[in-house]
Parts: sequence; C-alpha cells; structure tokens
Amino acid sequence: MKSLQTMNRIRFCALMLATALVAPLPAGAADPAKITVFAAASLREAFEAAAPAFTKKTGTAVTFSFGGSDTLAAQLAQGAAADVFASANEAQMKKITDAGLAAGQPKTFARNRLVLIVPKSNPAGITNLPGLAKPGVKVVLAAAAVPVGGYARAAFKHQAGQPGYAPDYADAVEKNVVSNELDVKAVATKISIGEGDAGVVYSTDITPDIASKVTVIPFPPGASPDAIYPIAVLKNAPNSRDAQAFVGFVLGDGQAFLKARGFLAP
Amino acid sequence: MIRAVVAVAAALLLAFIIIPLAGLVLHLAPRDIVSALQTPAAQSALCLSLLTTVIALAITLTLGTPLAYILARAAFRGRSIVDAIVDLPIVVPPAVAGLALLLVFGRTGTFAPVLARLGIQLSFTTAAVVMAQVFVSSPFYVRAARAGFLNIDRTLESASATLGMGPLRTFYFVTVPLAAPALLGGAVLCWARALGEFGATIMFAGNLLGVSQTLPLAVYLNLEGGSMPVAIALSVIMIAFSAAVVIVVRLFERR
Repeated sequence: MKSLQTMNRIRFCALMLATALVAPLPAGAADPAKITVFAAASLREAFEAAAPAFTKKTGTAVTFSFGGSDTLAAQLAQGAAADVFASANEAQMKKITDAGLAAGQPKTFARNRLVLIVPKSNPAGITNLPGLAKPGVKVVLAAAAVPVGGYARAAFKHQAGQPGYAPDYADAVEKNVVSNELDVKAVATKISIGEGDAGVVYSTDITPDIASKVTVIPFPPGASPDAIYPIAVLKNAPNSRDAQAFVGFVLGDGQAFLKARGFLAP
Repeated sequence: MIRAVVAVAAALLLAFIIIPLAGLVLHLAPRDIVSALQTPAAQSALCLSLLTTVIALAITLTLGTPLAYILARAAFRGRSIVDAIVDLPIVVPPAVAGLALLLVFGRTGTFAPVLARLGIQLSFTTAAVVMAQVFVSSPFYVRAARAGFLNIDRTLESASATLGMGPLRTFYFVTVPLAAPALLGGAVLCWARALGEFGATIMFAGNLLGVSQTLPLAVYLNLEGGSMPVAIALSVIMIAFSAAVVIVVRLFERR
C-alpha cells in the first residue's frame, strides 16, 4: 500500500515535471496573437490609452516595456526579445539600426517639446531658463544618455552666450544638477514632490496629476529643436506581421491618442 | 528515475547561477578590466561606495548592537513585534524603502520643518546614500548579532559579574568576544547588502557622480549610456567582493 503511494507520488512528480517542461511550447504557438513593444517612458500614457483600440481592431494583445530609451536600446542590443521599439530620440534608434536590429527604416511618428517645471511653491524663485544657472538652485535632469537629458543639455549649450545668458551658462547649470535621473518620469516625480527646484521634462509628461503640483515654463523659441520619436519593427521580432500592424496603427489611427496627450504630429 | 530528476534539477539551478556570473567575469580581458577601473567614473564610484558603506556599517554596529542585545536578553511585551519590525527592511522592496525615506526625510517630508530650520537637506546628498544603506542593510547585522547573543553560555557572564566586573566591562570583555563570530559574520553580510544597495539610493539620494553614484548606480548608468567596459569592470569588482563576503561568512560560521 505504502509503496503504491510512493509510486503514485513519484509518477505524479514526474508528470508535473514533464508538463512543466513540455507545456509552454504548444501553448505558446496556440496563444492568441500578441506583441511586445519597447517604448520610451514618455510614451506611457499615450500608448497605454491607444493599446485597447489596437487590440480591438486587430485582436492582437500588446505588452509594453516602458523605460529610458537608452535602457531599452541597451536591452535590445543585448538580445531582449521585442517586436517594436519606439524611441524618444534618433540617437538611441540609431544604435538599433546601426546594430542591424531594425527591420526597415524607422519612421518618425511624433514630436515632443521640452518644458521647464518647478514645484508650485517654487522655492528657488525660478521664472525662466536663465534662472537655472543661479548659484544653489537644485536642478534635476535625466542622465545625459537619456534622450530628454541630452536634449536639455543641448538646449543649455545653444542658449549660452545669447542675450540674458552668460557665456558659461551650460556649465553653470550643470554645476547645479543634484541628480541625473534614470528616466523622464523620475524627473517629473522629483520636482512634483518638491525635492528639486527645477527640472526639464517633455510637455507630454505634464499629466493632470503632475500639473496640479508644478508650474510649467515653456522653453524660449529656438532653444531646443523638437524631440523626434522614431518607431521601428525589430528584425528578430517574434511576431513581425502584427508588429508591422502596430507601427501602421501608431502612424494612423493611433495619432489621435498621441495628440490627446500633447504630442505634436510627426 | 527520481534520483536523476533531482540531480538534473539541482544541476540546472547551479548552472543558472554560475554561467551568468562566469560569463560576466570572462567577458573582458583582465587588462581591459584594469583600464576600465582607472576611469574617473569608476574610481569615483568605488571610493564613494567604500566610504558610504563603511560609515553605514559603523552606524549599524553602534546602534544595532544594543538593539540586538535587548532583543536577545530583555523580556518585554511586544518583543516579537520589535523582532518582526527589525526584519522588515529585508523583505520591503528597496524602491519602497527609498520612497518612504523620501516622504519622511525629504524636503517636503514629515521632518521637513525641523530639517529646514537646521539648514539640512538630506535628499540628493551622500548622507542620503548612507541612510538608504543603513535602512536596507541593518537587519542583516541585527539578526546575526541577536542569534549570537542568544547562543552564549550565560554562566560565563555570571562568572564575570561574580568576579567583580561591571555590566559594561562584562559586555565588552566577555559577551562580545564570545559572540564575535556571529557579530563579524553579520557585519560582513550587512556591509555586502549596503554595497549592493540600488533602489532606495536612486530614489532618495538620486544619482550624481561623486555624491550619490555608488557602484550599482554606476553599473546601471554606464551600461545604458556610458561605457559598457566600465559597467562590466565594476560588476566584476562587485562579484569579487560578494565572493569574498560569502567565503568570510562561511569561515565565521564554521568556527
């Protein structure tokens, strides 16, 4: 009796193990269509709003991995499996195309604009871009490798020496940087809770929640070119057909969702 | 049959741990690792990590030893609750710990009025790095020290008292030496956890070269934007530290 029980238990264990080893393969093939999209953190709200419409239209489920475009590009370069990459700048997309990881030419699907944000209480009394260079201002930026961090620094360099800006303006601002955050959302958060005196984010990061806690100061015209958002299907996409459909959707019907979140048309 | 299954399962997990670590260590030639370690970013992260973890450990030893002693010796109502609280940072996700520190010690946090009057801002400073490290790492020491104090033959302490030693001298000359293997083992584990701290640090202390960019942050930052060799070289250093920690803890446990 006892040995029978033991035998049964062993058989059960072996069965479980066999199931665990074998099951994922046929199940994966029979699954309803799905794609994985690696997208810049700044696209979170727009893409999450657009995904149900895409799924409804095509029956394809979308899983997102949002992060700093540089992080995502590094993950893709290291072989992360994804179908689509949507970057917040051309530099990170170039890494992917240079590495031969993109299928076809990336397409620009949106543009975005830099804004300066300060906490509602505005502890450093900042009203414009030159104010960032005042000694002691706690500036929070995204790391230089994160697109928005790169755009912001390029804008500071561009403004240096212009009327109202000291020749060493960019260096003075850099000296005031107290943290290089890992993505744009972290910058918005640190300013909205009042930890930093000022930060640079995209206009689209001013969600209703953030808007209630910060004051938005536009960049002066010409200070920074618009941020370009390219999208591409990846060469090793597990589901390249639906990935193409998603890119087509983002360039077509999906534009409404991007516009609703403050993105500019490509 | 069942034996083979057990052996295969065991081997799979072991291989899963060894292969990535070995792959990382062997990815770069030793010469490249050495040159990557000489970059300013790597040097700064190494120095900062050593400085902050040593301070964090000193704070934990100073405050954690009495706490562990009380938990081992004093009988009081709610001791099991205090026990559980001490262990909490081990299971709380570091990012949550960082958020908690930020909301309490941050510029608009609970203690903001007091801190502002004293002219202190903690967030985005090296002090915040140390605080994050103490928060997440102290349980590893307190747990070990508590167990160490519990395992001491208490007749030796009584003998010391009978021979005229005061409680403090008994503690330093009898209790601590007897519990030394446990205390040192706990201290080493605690230090290692502090060294690896990432989530609470980025949340509370931010990320700035020379101020808050510790080794794990430097690995992350160099991986994504800067230099892959620096990220790998620093990772190799951390693996070496970790291996040393495991070996040292083993030695203490064996005694």
